[in-house]
Amino acid sequence: MLKWLRTIDRKSLLFFLSIVGPGFITANVDNDAAGITTYSVAGSHYGYALLWSFIPMLALLIIVQEMVARLGVVTGKGLSDLIREEYGVKTTVFVMFALLITNLGTCAAEFAGLAASLEIFGISRYISVPLACGVIWVLVVKGNYKTVERVFLGACIIYFSYILSGFMAKPDWAEVARHTVIPTFHMDTAFVGLLIGMVGTTISPWMQFYQQASIVEKNVRIEDYRFVRWDVILGCIMASMVAFFIVMACGATLHVNGIIINNAEDAALALTPLAGEFAKLLFAVGLVNASLFAATILPLSTTYTICEGMGWESGVNKEFSEAPQFMGLYTGLILFSGGLILIPGAPLIKIMLVSQVVNGVLLPFVLVFILLLINKKDLMGTYVNGRINNWISWLSVAVLIGLSIALIVLAVRQMIAG
Amino acid sequence: MITDSIYLSELLERPILDKKGDAIGKIRDLNVVPGDPFPCVEGLYIRTPGGTAYVSMKEINVLNKRVVTIRGDVGSIVYAEPREKEILIAKHIMDKQIVDVNGVKVVRVNDVQLGQVNDHFGMLAIDVGFGGLIRRLGFGKARKGTLIPWQYVTTLEPGLDRLTLTMTRKSLAEMHPVDMAEILSQVSMQERTALLSSLDEETAGDVIGELDDETAAKIINEMEPEKAADVLEHMDPDEAADVLGDLPEKKAVELLSRMDKEEAEEVRELLEHDEDTAGGLMTTDYVCFPPDMTTEEVMKDLRLLAPDIEMIYYLYVVDKEERLLGVLSLKDLILASPKALLGGIMRTNPKRVFATEDKKEVAEMVSRYNLYAIPVVDEQDHILGIITVDDVVDMLLPTPLRKKR
Repeated sequence: MLKWLRTIDRKSLLFFLSIVGPGFITANVDNDAAGITTYSVAGSHYGYALLWSFIPMLALLIIVQEMVARLGVVTGKGLSDLIREEYGVKTTVFVMFALLITNLGTCAAEFAGLAASLEIFGISRYISVPLACGVIWVLVVKGNYKTVERVFLGACIIYFSYILSGFMAKPDWAEVARHTVIPTFHMDTAFVGLLIGMVGTTISPWMQFYQQASIVEKNVRIEDYRFVRWDVILGCIMASMVAFFIVMACGATLHVNGIIINNAEDAALALTPLAGEFAKLLFAVGLVNASLFAATILPLSTTYTICEGMGWESGVNKEFSEAPQFMGLYTGLILFSGGLILIPGAPLIKIMLVSQVVNGVLLPFVLVFILLLINKKDLMGTYVNGRINNWISWLSVAVLIGLSIALIVLAVRQMIAG
Repeated sequence: MITDSIYLSELLERPILDKKGDAIGKIRDLNVVPGDPFPCVEGLYIRTPGGTAYVSMKEINVLNKRVVTIRGDVGSIVYAEPREKEILIAKHIMDKQIVDVNGVKVVRVNDVQLGQVNDHFGMLAIDVGFGGLIRRLGFGKARKGTLIPWQYVTTLEPGLDRLTLTMTRKSLAEMHPVDMAEILSQVSMQERTALLSSLDEETAGDVIGELDDETAAKIINEMEPEKAADVLEHMDPDEAADVLGDLPEKKAVELLSRMDKEEAEEVRELLEHDEDTAGGLMTTDYVCFPPDMTTEEVMKDLRLLAPDIEMIYYLYVVDKEERLLGVLSLKDLILASPKALLGGIMRTNPKRVFATEDKKEVAEMVSRYNLYAIPVVDEQDHILGIITVDDVVDMLLPTPLRKKR
């Protein structure tokens, strides 16, 4: 029966599929617990009013991710390797330390998202979180990450559940279209804060490290770079689409009925009477998947990034005595971030806010490093940014830096206020 | 007076003084040239208010942890930027990855130990330890490092390989192909190509054979076609076929045409089989003899054939059309009397698999009958090749040579 399949050019199809992945996974994993929360809140507060932001956001996302992908393919090295080799120990230690703190906060946020979404199904966090920590650790250390990666690629399909629940929310399509093209702006702190939050959650420092590393892993030749670029662009489009539908779904149901929510699990619960039990289920499953996905990738990616930058022995197949820093960091990250949210009365909101601030502080540095590196002739050869490309990139980075400074200001103000 | 031992981090950014004690500038980098028993420092690049200056080691009067001075005065300074091909320690070696040949792993250079031996000031060792990191960060200057002597390391950057000492190159070539493959799997594509080009074709072929097919194909694809063809010739035909099977067809055909005719023919035959079948797993390297030969004659022939053939434990007995008649083991051969005919001592009706058989099936056969190898035949029972137990093990337990992230 499968005979006819063999007649198609199996090699080139397999080749494309063997390269697809890093861009797709990175972009999708970015729609993590924090992301989904931000999008749901944005939808419930302002309805369709923020939908227009997805077009410029997609452009920013593609510009940054493309540069990172190019760095990976041309140099064959990870971002932390390059920072270490070009800028020395002091810079590396600073960046790695900041990244560790940031990602620790983000990890905790993922576990918090996991706990909350499973509580919708009536599973206590004191069961779900330790279980998830154990499963993640065993999966990565004892399992084969290639398989895990494939599972994740498959899990990206689950993100479609958001698109489905968007349709089930029966939005007013004409309104949606209008708001997507015509920008609206409210000059109040909450609106600006959400706008910034949406961009901030879309482009984060750890993504850059993760994507470059996994592209390097694929050993793509420069001649095949175009495949990688498509992988990145498609991934960005898919991720933006999912986010778009979350905002839309919440806008069409919660906002229309005047329900204001403050987190993603509220969104799932609030959806039930409006769009039916099935929509709630889709939303909740999406959130479980997103949190688990990010909670698996984030600690591992952080550990690899740091160990490679510092020159420590790394590899999940190593014994503890062979790679003590690696195994210690990896295990510690999971235990610490998982344990943090099990502390009764843990200030979860504060943790998330702090992690957002540090994310915001770190992002400009990482982006500037990316731009400096990609313009190094002795590193990139003819693959340095062109003049126009550079212009757009620096402008994008300036915009992102501006937004991230604004995000810090907002978060700090919020922390002081509450 | 030049000190016996100093770390690079203790020199960089240090002021350099002239004979009167006036500061000329700060040390920016040191350039090295190949030498034996270690690379020698030729001179220092100095960052001065008037641009980059160069001071040859001959002009250095004092160099130690406290002070660096030159014999002349400020006026004698020559301004010069580093030249294209020059090797600079801070730029090209510090913070880069390097291969520890003894420990068989890729390490990062945290610091470089310089020193004076036999009137030569050169790179003695690299520091890969935590001490080096701390020292670089500016804490605990006296901290001892984890040193690897220069003769046990080899550089990865293309263009730096001339710094690798002859002795190291030798031990690199003597490294077990599996260990070498492990190292290759940890470095970037460019570094990999540089490292492989320092090996002879034979060793390179062995190493590439140990990598997973996908990575191996990419490496072969990156190589000069002439060199790639040489390497493929030196690989086992089944491994060469696996690698070529993962290349674009045009490239594979080109490489085959550059290979030795006989080798290319063997590989081409293997390529015709689906990689998930017995045919895709087999090798054409095996020994077979007609039934009317005596054990004595076979032993003589075997001595001539064996050096090029991996698996000689089983001798297959075939008729004129190469149809499989029987098999005997090396043990059977040794124990038999010298005049005995193969046809008389062979075991008839040996276990065999068809070329189209699924490879899982093959593994089961090998395991059930405790074989070291199993012959592969076509429908008419013509022997096509054999599958050795190591290929079966590799199939069942692929070595995790790719980095897992």
